[in-house]
Amino acid sequence: MMVNQIPFEEFHMLLSKQGLRVAVGPFNICIHTTHKPLATKLYMLYRHYRLAQDEIAEFHVRIVIERSFSNPLTRKVRFLLDGQSPFESFPLEQALAVLEWGINLAIAVRVNHLLLLHSAVVEKNGHVILLPAWPGSGKTTLCTVLTHRGFRLFSDEFGLMEPHQGIFYPIPRLMPLKNESIEAIRNYLPEVVMGQLIPNTQKGTVAHVCPSKESIQLSKQVAKAKWIIFPKWIANAPLKIEALSDAQAFMLLASNAFNYEVLGATAFQAVTHLISSCNSYKLVYSDFDEVIAALKKLVDEV
Amino acid sequence: MKSNQIRHHQILQQALLYPERLIGYSDAEWELLIRLARRVKLLGRLALTLKANGLWEKVPPRIASQLKSALVQIKKMQQLAHWELNRILWALEDFDTSIIVLKGAAYGLANLPYSEGRLSVDLDILVPKNDLADIESLLMIKGWQHRTLSAYDEHYYRVWSHEIPPLVHAERATEVDIHHTLTPLTSRLKIDIKLLFDAAIPIKNTRIKTLCPVDMVIHCAVNLFQNNEIANDLRDLLDLHDLIVFLGTKEPEFWMQLTDRANQLQLGHILFYGLYFSQNIFKTPVPTGVVDRLHSKPNFMKRWAMRWLVPLALFPQHPDKPMESAALARHLLYLRSHFIRMPLYILLPHLCYKTLRGLFMKKHSIAQQR
Repeated sequence: MMVNQIPFEEFHMLLSKQGLRVAVGPFNICIHTTHKPLATKLYMLYRHYRLAQDEIAEFHVRIVIERSFSNPLTRKVRFLLDGQSPFESFPLEQALAVLEWGINLAIAVRVNHLLLLHSAVVEKNGHVILLPAWPGSGKTTLCTVLTHRGFRLFSDEFGLMEPHQGIFYPIPRLMPLKNESIEAIRNYLPEVVMGQLIPNTQKGTVAHVCPSKESIQLSKQVAKAKWIIFPKWIANAPLKIEALSDAQAFMLLASNAFNYEVLGATAFQAVTHLISSCNSYKLVYSDFDEVIAALKKLVDEV
Repeated sequence: MKSNQIRHHQILQQALLYPERLIGYSDAEWELLIRLARRVKLLGRLALTLKANGLWEKVPPRIASQLKSALVQIKKMQQLAHWELNRILWALEDFDTSIIVLKGAAYGLANLPYSEGRLSVDLDILVPKNDLADIESLLMIKGWQHRTLSAYDEHYYRVWSHEIPPLVHAERATEVDIHHTLTPLTSRLKIDIKLLFDAAIPIKNTRIKTLCPVDMVIHCAVNLFQNNEIANDLRDLLDLHDLIVFLGTKEPEFWMQLTDRANQLQLGHILFYGLYFSQNIFKTPVPTGVVDRLHSKPNFMKRWAMRWLVPLALFPQHPDKPMESAALARHLLYLRSHFIRMPLYILLPHLCYKTLRGLFMKKHSIAQQR
């Protein structure tokens, strides 16, 4: 059963009582909050997720409202993971952003049975394209564009890889666009379902894009990787795709993973195998039409 | 009625004591078990218990992946602690001193069962007090640093504590705690630390030592019932249980030696608590008459109070429904832990300072957690 198949009243009651359990890729997340404005936003943005009320949840998160001792008139939100608070409290209106970051943090610190590459991941023709974060690359923006133009979303943040078989797991989550990319996406993809603007966060203004219904519904369908593309958006730059050596690709991928060191030798072998079974490229672009065409051409070639 | 009240204690306790009963656990019970075990750093131990009993295949997949994740992390942390010890030995290569490895790293060196499932974040070593200044400066020359401490925290460590402020190497993250005795200098217990150095056991082909078996047991109890606040320390009690089961079955003289040593070090009452709660919670086989051999034991009132307080603090709170009685027990044991560590003229200003700082400062400093 999907979130949008239950009425808002029931959704809100689950959130505020026993916790709302949603399946997000390979994980179930139990979310608890009594903050109604957050419930309203989640009801819209989480509408395609599957409810998992009777299943084991790996993550139990809460958004609580609090007043601090030093500033008793202002209400703030705090994220709790199993009752523990991993970071400070934030302004009330940032509740959704705090929840989403908190869940990412929980995944990043707890999951070690999978290798967590720091990468956007999309699928086309049954194979996965990794779009690892090149600093300032705008991987979320590119990922949003691609997944609204024929590519299936795996993740805009986590390359979840089973290290022994090289299988990638989809974990489609809300995609947080930042600052100027919000306007760029609104112009280019008027059809996107986007949450309200959340100004003044740690990362500037943020707006969350809802993954497509199809991406969420197919999130049990795993795939192997075939391409690793390090994207970089540069204003007005002509499109350029260059092959990257295995050694360069290895260093970029391994040095930017969440738990590469924790997995040790397992991670080294997994990335070695991944690199040798993929073609790696460096991509510079400025125009969305061009980059979509170029990537479609690339995946149809091989 | 009581057993109903603390159902979540049972879920964790039964899993550790009678792992075969886990087969009958519902999904909801498994889920709660994992959350509780994580809170008290027992995921690794739980995973090893399941494997040792041939139950791994029967674990629900969403539970197994979390246990597997924990084992991967524990392996990494142990590797880091091991490497830190290697680097410490390298830095002190030309300095003649005795280095005794304590706690988690020592359990690994002593091949204690389940030690590979124990999450240890820090490396703890014990060195002679006379060599402490030299060791500290040698390590600092070779790249170890203290975290920035307030003048108060610095004073806390230097004047009152049994360890110096933690050292961390500039290129790594593992914290090294260097102890020169086992209990705070301000506590009423005065341990003749030379006895422990004299009895320490060298590790083959190295220059490091571990405490001798009975001292290891006593230190574990001291750490739990003298130095710590007991909240969420179930793992440390399980360490004690594992040590006793492992060492007690190896040496026929173990129990005699243990009680003699506790009497000699004047730590009988601490060992009493250790044996009592280990037996009470983990059904540790303690032969009859052992406790009677201890010269000092807590009086009836103390035993009665501790019997009520300690389990409420040792076991984790229910993550969704914390109990007020457990919160109260934890507060009382927190006060107790300070009371037995410091005379009142130090304790009262210390608690005032910490309370005020807790209210006005957001960042929790290191000494505040002590």
